Amino acid sequence: MPEKKDFIYINEKHGIEYSLLIPYEESVEELAHILIIQFNLPIYIEKELTQHLRIFIEDRTNEYFEEISDQVVQKGKDHEIPIDDIVKNWEKLMREEIIEFGERRCASDEELFATAYHKLVHSPALETMLQLEHMYSKIVRQKTEEKNALIKKLSDSQSEEMNKAVDRLEQDMTESKINELVARHYESHSLLQGQLSSELDTLKEAQRREYREWVMQMLEQNQANSSLPTPSSPLMPVVPRNFQNTRANSRDQINSPLLEESFTIHLGSQLKQMHNIRILSADVMDLCSIHDDEQLSEPTPQLLQTALGLYSNDLSGLVLMTDNKIGSRLTQEFQEVCQQTTEFHFPHIEDQLNKISSIAQQHFKNPQNGSSRNSNSELLQTGDFYMTRHSNLAQVHVIFHMVTDDSIRGIDINSRHPVVLGLRHILKTACSNDITSLTIPLLLQYEMTEEMTINWCEKRAELVFKCIKGFMIEMASWGGSELKNLQFMLPQGISQAVFTSMTEMLPRIFKVCNPKILA
Amino acid sequence: MTVDMPVSLLKNPELKFGAITFFAKQHKGDTCGSNGLPLTPNSIIIVGNAQLLKTIKSPFLCDFLDIIRGKHERTIVVSQYCGTPLAKIIDKHVLTHLQIKKIAYQALKGLSVLHKLDIVHRNLSNENILRQENGDIKLFNYGLYHMTNRGALVSFPVLEVLYTAPEVYLSGFDSGHVDKKVDIWSLGQRIRKILSLLQVNTSIFEKIAREHNCYEVYLNLPADLKELIELCLNIYPSKRLSCEELLDKLYFNEFRDIQEQKKMWEPFEVFSIQELYYWWQLAGGDVFQELKKQGLIRSSPPILSLPSLVLIEGTLLGQDRNPATLYDPRIVEMPLETLYQRFIHIPITAFYPLIHSKSDIISSSDPPPYDATGLPLVIKEKDPEYQFHRVILFRRLLHGYPFTKDLIRQEAEKDIPPLLRGDVWSALLNVPQGYERDYMRLDKYSHTTTDRQIEVDIPRCHQYNELLSSTQGHKKLKRILKAWVYKNSQYVYWQGLDSLTAPFLYLNFNDEAKAFACLSNFIPRYLHKFFLKDNTVVIEEYLAKFSQLISFHDPQLANHLHDINFDPKLFAIPWILTLFSHVFPLYKILHLWDKLLLCDASFPLHIGLSILTQLRDRLLTSGFNECILLFSDLPEVDIEKCVIASMQTYQSTPRSITSREHENEQFYKKNDLDIRGVTLEELKKESCPRISAADIINTVRKNPDKILLIDIRNTTLFHRSCVKGSVNIPFSSVSFNETVLDNLGTHSSLIKSKGDKVVAIIGDCETDLERFPNFLLQCNVSRVCVLHGDFNRFTSVIPTILTSGTTN
Repeated sequence: MPEKKDFIYINEKHGIEYSLLIPYEESVEELAHILIIQFNLPIYIEKELTQHLRIFIEDRTNEYFEEISDQVVQKGKDHEIPIDDIVKNWEKLMREEIIEFGERRCASDEELFATAYHKLVHSPALETMLQLEHMYSKIVRQKTEEKNALIKKLSDSQSEEMNKAVDRLEQDMTESKINELVARHYESHSLLQGQLSSELDTLKEAQRREYREWVMQMLEQNQANSSLPTPSSPLMPVVPRNFQNTRANSRDQINSPLLEESFTIHLGSQLKQMHNIRILSADVMDLCSIHDDEQLSEPTPQLLQTALGLYSNDLSGLVLMTDNKIGSRLTQEFQEVCQQTTEFHFPHIEDQLNKISSIAQQHFKNPQNGSSRNSNSELLQTGDFYMTRHSNLAQVHVIFHMVTDDSIRGIDINSRHPVVLGLRHILKTACSNDITSLTIPLLLQYEMTEEMTINWCEKRAELVFKCIKGFMIEMASWGGSELKNLQFMLPQGISQAVFTSMTEMLPRIFKVCNPKILA
Repeated sequence: MTVDMPVSLLKNPELKFGAITFFAKQHKGDTCGSNGLPLTPNSIIIVGNAQLLKTIKSPFLCDFLDIIRGKHERTIVVSQYCGTPLAKIIDKHVLTHLQIKKIAYQALKGLSVLHKLDIVHRNLSNENILRQENGDIKLFNYGLYHMTNRGALVSFPVLEVLYTAPEVYLSGFDSGHVDKKVDIWSLGQRIRKILSLLQVNTSIFEKIAREHNCYEVYLNLPADLKELIELCLNIYPSKRLSCEELLDKLYFNEFRDIQEQKKMWEPFEVFSIQELYYWWQLAGGDVFQELKKQGLIRSSPPILSLPSLVLIEGTLLGQDRNPATLYDPRIVEMPLETLYQRFIHIPITAFYPLIHSKSDIISSSDPPPYDATGLPLVIKEKDPEYQFHRVILFRRLLHGYPFTKDLIRQEAEKDIPPLLRGDVWSALLNVPQGYERDYMRLDKYSHTTTDRQIEVDIPRCHQYNELLSSTQGHKKLKRILKAWVYKNSQYVYWQGLDSLTAPFLYLNFNDEAKAFACLSNFIPRYLHKFFLKDNTVVIEEYLAKFSQLISFHDPQLANHLHDINFDPKLFAIPWILTLFSHVFPLYKILHLWDKLLLCDASFPLHIGLSILTQLRDRLLTSGFNECILLFSDLPEVDIEKCVIASMQTYQSTPRSITSREHENEQFYKKNDLDIRGVTLEELKKESCPRISAADIINTVRKNPDKILLIDIRNTTLFHRSCVKGSVNIPFSSVSFNETVLDNLGTHSSLIKSKGDKVVAIIGDCETDLERFPNFLLQCNVSRVCVLHGDFNRFTSVIPTILTSGTTN
């Protein structure tokens, strides 16, 4: 928008001198009245003055526009403006913003599969699909266990051999021979490891392909028959019977009573928004890892929920804590959980992390981005976070990997701490990407550490509750999707006393809804 | 009369609408406005800007109907869409030169309406010019450039590639060029296109014609048409004529005569397209779903388009532009079949309700009226057929305002149709004609000392509402508040005036003057003297009355609040000062005020009481601290219950119970038999309210069984003369040591079994008029009040209500 111009309106008859900006955007009649008041003029000149003013403003406005518009045209004619650049810019703009001029783009494989999956998962085929996935995962599990067993066997035999060798050190063994042995062991160990892993990967890849093809086929059948697909037997993999029951105790673990309490709260002073909040103490990996129940061939009901929501507008997210290196060892446990079964929808976790890494590097290296960061470092900063997508986790679709550091263990962090700011970005990202369920570590860490005194926990929880409340109020004006369910997670094994103190604190900070009384 | 008639009234080919949709630009990163508050989302600014378009009425422009905000900055514009785009017509037909001239003329007429409002079309093309069945044209989609702050709030360019003036391209995308002449260029291009003609020395037009091998057509054009196009297609904007100048051309004379025979008054429309759209929505029409069904809203699953990395500075990395957010200029027409079906049985007479002269014979031939009585208000407001009848009726009544004032009031007592609420309210508030001029004369620009406070308050006032949080909303609210401060120099701006103004602005968003007029009439009626610089006396009196009203209706609660020292001044001041507009969200305020406007200044006390009644159980079991906490963030209040309960107590309470010294005499005239001259000190001492002699006289005459009169003078005086039906409990005979009703002796059973009778205590200067009512109050006797003045008030009343006391 070109700048406005100052003009002085002079009305000699009434002795008015008044400066105004052209183009004048307010009401001319009102201006006339202001002048009447300011210059203490009689009210009967209202009409005349308005008319006079209107003509003055109209003329000046016309002059103003004619001047700037003509100038532009003249410049264009005189080739003072780089016409080619202008044309290029316009062309680019139209191509990028208007569908007509944009590239004709077909739906990507990802989108096609997403649509197909979403349709089928909301049809009677759901059961078959989940069972199929379940069978696939059993096979992967079994393979993994076999792999682990083989590796263990090798390790055992190697260490035995090594022991023997060391015993004979005084006799016919020399140190160099031992070193040689170590090298040989290492080599065969990694060979086996590599071989088995690659077998596993091949298996997963095959499963993935098979599964995706099957889904597309099912959809085609469905469309051809224009009826709901009959869950006809797909390439149901056969699960070997001698499947070992090695994790019998896992079941007790799931059913062990959790510390948890739910609230319904409302936010806002006049218009009140409802949200569900839950505080629970558990191992965060329970939200990710699918517990395999050997007795049943049925998948757990949570999986059903997760599958139904995968391509919906109600995603479920989880905040995990990590350090400043993408895919560092801190995420190892999580990565293993991801690899327990086949990922049918998204790239494998390593590939996702690699891609994020390269995006980060590209960004930091580009001097145009002019950030205050060290351009050589590819490390992230505290408060940054990256996101991965998953279809094979128990209760979540999206993971926010938040970068933290040791400062988080201190007792005196405040609302301007980068991790808290990062939480705000997470809420904002969730809001603008339809992630409507979110799990956050209430103490900003999932592990119990020694600083966690009752006092420390209370202070930390109060900070997080209050900040999150503020962010949620802010969220209401962002125009995205609301956060429906918010979970605050406490480390597993937190004392009952701390837990109670948290559940008592929550209603003091958030306004808890009245229980509805049905009259 | 055929059954099909009414539907054919609805099936007017011009009463059709369509929608377009686009995405507003997202704010980048985490920026704050200059006031430190988060930026208003662009879609909200657009919603605010677009409201002005609703006021544009021209036969040559499509009526703008609605703007809807979806998630993630999606914006949907609904507007009239009827006829056939010219682009389609010129493919098949060749238009005559006369027809072309007419189109040019009407398009210019339409444009000149827009240009007068400083709106530039920018989108003029043959797609956006709709030819009606009668050959007239309407311009469509003229508001996009205006509502997006000259294209600044969207990322796509607002223009039609072929028709855009050269200077637009030359100034670049970000320049926000608002010269109206760009429309003139487009118009020229359009006309040229119609002639299917398509340079630099002599004439641009000639050049384009040559390029398109249409030079011959060009040569054969009549001179006037050629001139017109040449005038439009001058590359120098200054040499292009303006709308008005072009319209003045001689060759348009032939149209001018037909078109300009303006009627003195706009004819009364039985209903308008706005109302049709409203009914359509109530009948299940959903613009969003239609757009989805017809493929204009495509959504790809959000999990496929997540960012991969978000830096602490707020930078998003790895998120591709979602192709579904590109601008798609397609228009989706809304199907009206469901509405036609829903309304098919409505007889034609329902469109023309008789208001003043309705005979029994006519009534008997009518089908029974649509019955929605007894349904909850929220259901009635969602019932298309009920709203049809209400809107048709209220339209007529409002058309006759101010002569139909009483009828409007009468109908408003049933309910107020949401669509016309703004107008109905201003009728109920007696907004006079000429309110626009009064408002215009007020100074809303000059700086005053309250500006700062106003600016702090506005961004905190009902910001969940799209209109009120938009830039336009802020601007308008500020103007209204400044105008009010300017006009009412005897008063000051109190925080809360913003909330009080919000409902009026919301309902009259396009008519600031009316919102102001409503506010100006509202305050003297309900908040007389509340905005004085020192309003302590007024507020204290009001609060004292509130306490008394609680005692009157709910002695148990009043006693409890008294015991825990929880005084209304701790919570009720924002209630009364903003008449609950600071406490409730807008949709609740609207229902509450619907009733308030039919009642007098005492009604807010009853609303307060009904809120306490809803919280009664919690209050009775809470101590001081819990109560403070409870009111610091008021729990959800059921507004329908609240309205019903406050109406009930309002109607069952004698008016003088809530009478105040500081009431506006203009609305509540008092005479000798009313309550007057009670000082604040006296009032604060009294736990039970006073009742006026007038109210007692009235009740004794009309409803003697609704009142229990207790005469506490001594027996001798009582026997000499007393009010008919009164009982005598001499003050001296009662022992007040224990709060047990039985101490009153033989009459205690009368009090115990009184039901909802009012208990009025009559004494004279020798009796203690405090201890006795207090005693009753402590015994949890409800509706206790004391005669203002003494017994002698009644002696001069004619016809007398007195009797010599032998009846007892």
